This record gives sequence, structure tokens and C-alpha cells, in this order.
Amino acid sequence: MQTFLQYTILGLAIGGSYFIAASGLVVTYTTSGIFNFAQGAIAMLAVFTYWQFRWGWNWPAPLALLMVLGVLAPLLGALLYQVIMKNLRGTSEVTKIIVPIGVMLGFQALATWVWNPTSSTPRQFQKFFGPNAFVHFGSLKVSWHEIIAFVIAIAIAVGIRLLFVRTRYGVAMRAVVDDPELLQLNGGRPERLAMISWAGGSFLAALAGILIQPMIGSAMSAGQLTLLVIDAFAAAMFGRLRSLPRTFAGALVIGLTTTYVIAYFPSKWTWSSSFRNSLPMIFLFIVLIVLPQDRLRGATVLRLRERFRMPSIRTAWIAGLVMMVVVFCLKVIMERTAVNTLTLALTLAIIALSLVLLTGFAGEINLAALSFGAIAVIVVFHFGTTGSGTDARTTLWGILLAAVVTALVGAVIALPALRLRGLYLALATMAFGVFVSRMVLTERNERDIFGFKFTIFTAGQLAIPKPKIGPFDFNSPDSFLFLCAGLFVVIGIGMVYLRHSGYGRRLAAMKDSPAASATLGMSVVRLKLSIFMMSAAIAGIGGVMMAAQIGTVNSDRFDILLSLSLMMITVVGGIGYVSGALFAGIFLIAFVQMLDLSLKKFAVDYSSLEAIFLFFVSAVTVLPATIGITMGKNPSGAVSDIVEGLDQIKQSKPLMFTLIGLEAAIWGLTAAEVITNWNFVILTLVNMLIVPVVGGKILLARAMRGVPKPMPPELVGIDRPFTPEDLAEMDRALNLEGVVIPTMETVREETSGVSA
Amino acid sequence: MSLLETVDVKVKFGGNIALNDVSISVEAGSVTGLIGPNGAGKTTLFNTITGLQPLTAGKIIFNGKEVTKEPPHKRTRMGLARTFQRLELFTSLSVRDNVRVAGEIRNRWSFRTKRMDVNAETDRIISLVGLTGVADREVGEIPTGQARVVELARALMIQPTLLLLDEPASGQTEEETEQFGELLKSLTRNDGLGICLVEHDMALVMNVCETIHVLDFGSMIASGTAEQVRNDPAVIDAYLGAPESVG
Repeated sequence: MQTFLQYTILGLAIGGSYFIAASGLVVTYTTSGIFNFAQGAIAMLAVFTYWQFRWGWNWPAPLALLMVLGVLAPLLGALLYQVIMKNLRGTSEVTKIIVPIGVMLGFQALATWVWNPTSSTPRQFQKFFGPNAFVHFGSLKVSWHEIIAFVIAIAIAVGIRLLFVRTRYGVAMRAVVDDPELLQLNGGRPERLAMISWAGGSFLAALAGILIQPMIGSAMSAGQLTLLVIDAFAAAMFGRLRSLPRTFAGALVIGLTTTYVIAYFPSKWTWSSSFRNSLPMIFLFIVLIVLPQDRLRGATVLRLRERFRMPSIRTAWIAGLVMMVVVFCLKVIMERTAVNTLTLALTLAIIALSLVLLTGFAGEINLAALSFGAIAVIVVFHFGTTGSGTDARTTLWGILLAAVVTALVGAVIALPALRLRGLYLALATMAFGVFVSRMVLTERNERDIFGFKFTIFTAGQLAIPKPKIGPFDFNSPDSFLFLCAGLFVVIGIGMVYLRHSGYGRRLAAMKDSPAASATLGMSVVRLKLSIFMMSAAIAGIGGVMMAAQIGTVNSDRFDILLSLSLMMITVVGGIGYVSGALFAGIFLIAFVQMLDLSLKKFAVDYSSLEAIFLFFVSAVTVLPATIGITMGKNPSGAVSDIVEGLDQIKQSKPLMFTLIGLEAAIWGLTAAEVITNWNFVILTLVNMLIVPVVGGKILLARAMRGVPKPMPPELVGIDRPFTPEDLAEMDRALNLEGVVIPTMETVREETSGVSA
Repeated sequence: MSLLETVDVKVKFGGNIALNDVSISVEAGSVTGLIGPNGAGKTTLFNTITGLQPLTAGKIIFNGKEVTKEPPHKRTRMGLARTFQRLELFTSLSVRDNVRVAGEIRNRWSFRTKRMDVNAETDRIISLVGLTGVADREVGEIPTGQARVVELARALMIQPTLLLLDEPASGQTEEETEQFGELLKSLTRNDGLGICLVEHDMALVMNVCETIHVLDFGSMIASGTAEQVRNDPAVIDAYLGAPESVG
């Protein structure tokens, strides 16, 4: 009985903290329409900052609390809204999801940079009033910290409820989401309200973080705290991101169940701690299944800022051919390690293709592409290889089986969420990703399942050999490079064909207007399901290729944060384009690695500037997130910019041939080992990317200068005087052609004639 | 038996009653008008008929079958099509592909024997409604008046028996509206189509509609022929304001 009470109180305290974080999510979502994926990351930053003040610099607790909760956290929230989130009005749901994820990844990288996780002394984070501050109720011993956590949770629940229902402010806040323009007409200030709610949401996140960190007991970890957002959104989902009382109930249920699992599951069940960590995800799935179907809505924004032009099939074939030639030329001049990097980049690009298919073509979101890769890799490891030692190979059947299994798993994951809006599917996949990381990839013990002795993730790592398909052995690095490049090209061209087919048009219809599609008789769920399965299968194949390239993979390779980065960078590249996927793979692997290596090399070469170069090495880790955050400004992606620039170059043949000639010369010099690979990369970047894009922009600007912008007819005569053509046009329209209208002069002449 | 009947349809948004016991009927082979001032509940009624808006109470009967609980796509498959007042075009497709994809969607759910040659039918419908000149343009580039015609063409592709048109003529020139009226008449006459038309252009409504229902603040205030409705005092009040508020 006493243990029961003890754990109940702990459960209530943890549940209360979940509620605080969740209420922050609800408040920001209801006022700005943006789901704050960075909620956990804000909590994490707050915990680290508080630690720095309180134990790093030995400030007294009240001062540290005031600084973190009273000043820094609200300031951060307000800034986030003003600088970043405000720009997201009128963008697609995808951009609204990606930008906060960029913020989340940025904070995560920032924290790892500032508070080095490998430092020698582990950072201890203590409960309020120290670890030994207890209250005794009879034989029951309860820590002050837990009481404080629960009391604050109740206070906040009551406080927010009163704010929303009783005050003018709260009513205005609820009005912001429904119709910001109408609110503005009625004298409300939606932007300011949204900013205040973000400040409040950030405060709540920080508070939740500081309360929960000492209760989950383990050492401070940036990753674990960042994923607090998932526990919070599982709770928020109980209330459909709206109702606070239901969110409160949901948070308590999650808090209590997780503590009871620890207390009462037999200790011989080695999986109970993974199970405990996965509970919020399991709850989320149950809630998603139970939630009633959303009303079909039309497009909420009239015209999105994103536009993707589909390349013709002919263009796709040419691009594919060019890519194979380029890969071949690169292979000739590259060192072994560089070939490996390129191959790895291409395997990631294949995984990114699954995102282009799902998000770019169908408008649905998968935030856990690499987790599907992990499922496929597990299948191949157990059922898809032949031979052993250096003769081991992955079979074609193994890869196909893996694709089928991932597609089926994808169906199971997606089915509950497909009836709902895109955000819910995104959350479901993210929950799945965390579930795979915490529950599946930690399965290192042998289990007896229906008589089969089976270990899912043997010894924490899986060896995946290179594939052998029919008579073709892809064991050598070069042949495997061509296999991956070929696979990318084939899937990419296949996708362009698909987009030009009836199926592709139906996808576009579903993405552009679910309401119109349904009133044309389309069953949206079946179409969504089929595309999700197809996309999962591609992610699976890409995952197997990635594992085969690395050789032996551990669970870190499938981390949810990597999936999120990949999604974000694909959106940056251009989620509607096959080339956007290529951009993502190359950027995430090759470009970041190249920057990192070069900077480190510079730091060694120029030791006097070492500090500066090492600073930039760390800055590179924040780079992808920073780029992701800028998506609010340019939602069509970087590739479309490059393509636009290249289009202009194509207009001017001599310029185009000069550039290609130059590139051939650069390649020739490198092949003859006159210039180094490093210089080759720099020169190529300048020649093929910077010159065309910048040059194209200049050409475009010059071409536009000669052409005056067409003026809307209602502004003619106001913004510019009527021209004779306008007057003639009006005469024609009014049937006044040939009629001489008297002007002041003629009238005056006539009247003067009369008087004379 | 009417092609479509709504029986005492009621819709509440929170405390607001958007539709209060509205009963209308639409006959095959004729155009039925649905008019009323802004906010009267016309689009909401369309949404309940197509299944995009759940009812608080009441019944929808289509082709003699109650469809009140059927999802939108099932109702469409029984022969119900509509256009939207706030345009719901497929903005990443061209005008032709907007029309074509509707046929492709239809071929997915229609019986094998009733499948159409989508390309031929697309060309026929596009020339029927007069979009040939803009067929290969991006749908986002054409003027609103023509974009509404694209919605009509798309709805015709599924070969409906009942067509709900939500302000199809707004944004059209006078001349275009006249042609549009002739098109509606020929559709009802030749194909036996039932059309329910929400429109503010009274000339068009009076010209094409055999029966007119008038909504005001969610309630039906009149219904009858054009002549009856035009002279109904309640209708005149709703449109011009009651005499006391004028005085």
C-alpha cells in the first residue's frame, strides 16, 4: 500500500509536469495555428541554463528561477514568434511543421555545442530544496519537489482556464485562430496576441523542464529532454489540441501509468523500461484511433506560396543520364573515402525520394523515414542474406521482402491517422520513430516468440553485406556506387512517370483540395494509404542500401533526429522535386562532412587561428537547422532557385557551352592531377552553382527591365495617365468611336465665336 | 418523387442556428434556384447535401434513398456533383488536367461497363462549356469567372444526375452570364439533369429557374415560381429591408 501511494504521488507529479508542457503546446497552437515541435527543446535549453546559473555559477535558486522563467524563457518565445513563426501564415502545412522542427534541431545542436555532453563531470540536477527535503505523512515520505510540481500544475490548469473563459484577453486569443482578419477588423491585435501566447508557451515549457528533470532522475541529456515534446503532445492529443481539462486528464493517465509500470512489472521482464519509455507513443496511437474523423475542409489558404513545376518525362530521362555521367566522372578522380561518402549521400537521397513522393506529390508527412529504413534493415539481417564472412551478400529477395514488410508496417502506422489532418499523421510517424528507437532498436536480448528464438537487434549492431543481384556482384565500392546512383535514377524517373499518370493527377487533386476530391467521388483514405505504403517501401530500400554501404550499423544511424534533419533538408532542397531529394542526400552527408573536415584541417594548418576554425566546426552542426528555419521565407526550396537560374542560362547558348567547357577543363586538370580534389570541389561549386544562379538572376533582372509590368485595369488612370490607346479602347467599349467629344478648348473657341 | 429532398434540415454552430428546419426539393430536368442575402445559409445547405457538414437534425433524401449518414464520396457516386463558391481547384494542374482528373477519379469508382474514354470526354466537356481557349493554361492564371467554369466542367465529368452550383456566374461578364444561362437550360433539357443554383445575379436566376426557394437567416421564407417569389412581400423585405427599418 505504501509503495502504491508513493508511486501514485510520483506519477501525479510527473503527469502534472507533462500537463504544464502540454498546456503550453495547446496555448501556442490555438493562437497561432502552429504546432510547436520545439516545445521540448525549449524545456531542454531552460534546464541547461538553469543548471548553469544554479550549480555552474552557484546563484541562489530564486534568482536563477526568476532569470530563467521570468526573463529568458518568455523572451525566447516572443522572439521565436516575431522572427520566425510570424512568417508562416499562408504557407502549407508542411512548412508549418518543418520550420519548428528546424528550431528544435537548432536548439539541440546549440545545447550540445555549449554544454559538451562528453565533459568529465556529469551534471547533477537536484530537486527543489535539495534531494533530502521530504514531508512525512505518517509513514509516507513525499519530497517537496513532487508536491510543488503537482500544485503548480493544478494552479496553471485553473489559471489558463480562467484566462480563456473569463478575460477579454483570453476570448481574443481564441478568436485569433478562427479568423485573425475579422479579429483585426474588430480592433483586436492578432500578431501581438500570438506573440504573447508564444512567450507564455515558452515559459510553460521551461517550467515543465525544470520540474521534470530531477524526477526522471537520469543525468541531463539534451536528446532526452528535447523528446519531452512527445510525452507532452500525447497528453495534448487527449484534448484534441483544444480542451485543457482533457489534456490534464491525459497527462495524469500517462504520468501514473509510466510510474506504475516501473513499480509493478516483474524485474525479470527486461523490456519493461523500454516499454515505459514507449508508453506515451502507445497512448498517442490509441488516442488517434479513437479520435472522431475530421470534417473535410477546403484549402484554408487561397493560394499557397509554394509552386512546383513538374519536369516533363523527357527532361527526367536527360537528367538521369547526366547524373550517371557525372557520377562516373567523379568516380574517376575521387579517392576511395570520397567515393564512400558519395555513395552514402546517394543512399540517403534514395530515402529522401520517399519523402518527395509522400509530401511533395501527395501532401502527407512522414517524420520517421529512417525508422522505416531500420525495419527493412532488420528484415534483411534476419532473412535476406546468404553466405558468411567475406562471401556474405544481401539477396534481391531479401531486399524485396524488406520493402514489402516496410510497406505493411507503414500501413499499420498510417491507417489510424489517415482520416485526420496532415499534422496528426506527422505526429503519428514521429511517435513511431521514437517507438522504434526506444523499443525495437534496444531489443538486444534473445526472445522466445511462439517457439522461435529470436534477437531483433543483435549485440546493438547489425552487419549488412553488399547486395548480389543475379549474376551481378556489387561488393566493390565502385560497383556499389553505380548501383546506388542507378537506383536513384530509376526510382526518380519512375516518380516523374507516376506524377504524369492518372494516379499522379489524383494525388495532386487530393493534395490541392481534399474537399473537391471527395465531392468528385474519391475515397481519400485508400489513395493516402497506397501512397504511404509505396513511400515506406522506398524508405526501406534506401535504408538497406545505407546499411550495406556502412557495413555494420548501430541504432544511432536510425535516430529520429536524423529523420527530422533529412525531412527538413529535403524541404529546403525542394520537396516537390526529385532533385530536392538529391540535394538533401548530398548536403546532409557530403557537404556537411566536407565543411567539417576542411575546417578541422585548416585548424591544424593555421594553428594561430585554431579557435576560430573550431568555432566554425561547431557552427556547422547548427547549419542545417538554420537553413531549415529560413524556409518561411522561401517555401519552394533551394532547387527551384537554382533551376530558375539555370533556365536563364539555357536561353543563352554561348554562355551555357562556356560553362560546360570550363567544367570539363576543371575535371581534366583534376584527372591529370594538376589540381587537387579540394580545388576541384571549390571550382565546380563556383562554376556550376554560383555563376549560373547569380548570373541567371542578373539575366532575369535585365530581361524583366525592358518589359513593363502589366497594370491591373482598375489602376489605369490612377497610377499612370490614360494613353491614347486606352482612350481608343474606352471609345470602342462605349460605342463612341468617331464621336468628337468637345474639350474645354473647343468649347471656349465655340462660345467665343458665338459671342463675337 | 423529387430527385432531391431535404426534410427539416437543422444545423447549429454552437448557439447559432445556421439552418432552421429547411425543406427544399429539386426536380430532375429543371433548374431550381436557391437565393437569399449573404449569410442566409445557402452554402451551408449545399454542404449538408454533399455531406461536408453534419446535420444537427433532419434528413437528406436523394434519388429516393436517405443519404443523411453517407460520407461525401458515396453521395457523389450516387450521382451528386457540386461546385464551390470559394474555389476549390487543383492548383498544381492545368485547366485540362483539372477536368481530366475528375474523369479519372470517376472511372475508378464507376462500374466497369460504364467507364468513359476520359480524353474524349474531357475534350467534349471543355468545348461544351467554352474553355478550349484556355485549356492548357495553369488554373491559377485564369480569371475568376473562367475558373468557376472549370469547376462546372469538372463536376460535369462525373456525369451527375444532380448538380449543385454555388454562385457559378459571379466574376463573369454580362455576355458570359447570358451564354451560361443557355448552357444550364440545355443541360437540363437534353440530359435530364437536375440543377440547384445559388446565385446573386437575379436576371440569371429569373431567366433559368422554374422553382425558387428563398432563405433568410437560416429559414425558408418563400418558395414558388419566379413570378410568385418576385412579388412575395417577405422576400422584398429580406432583400430591401422591412418598411419600418427603411422609414
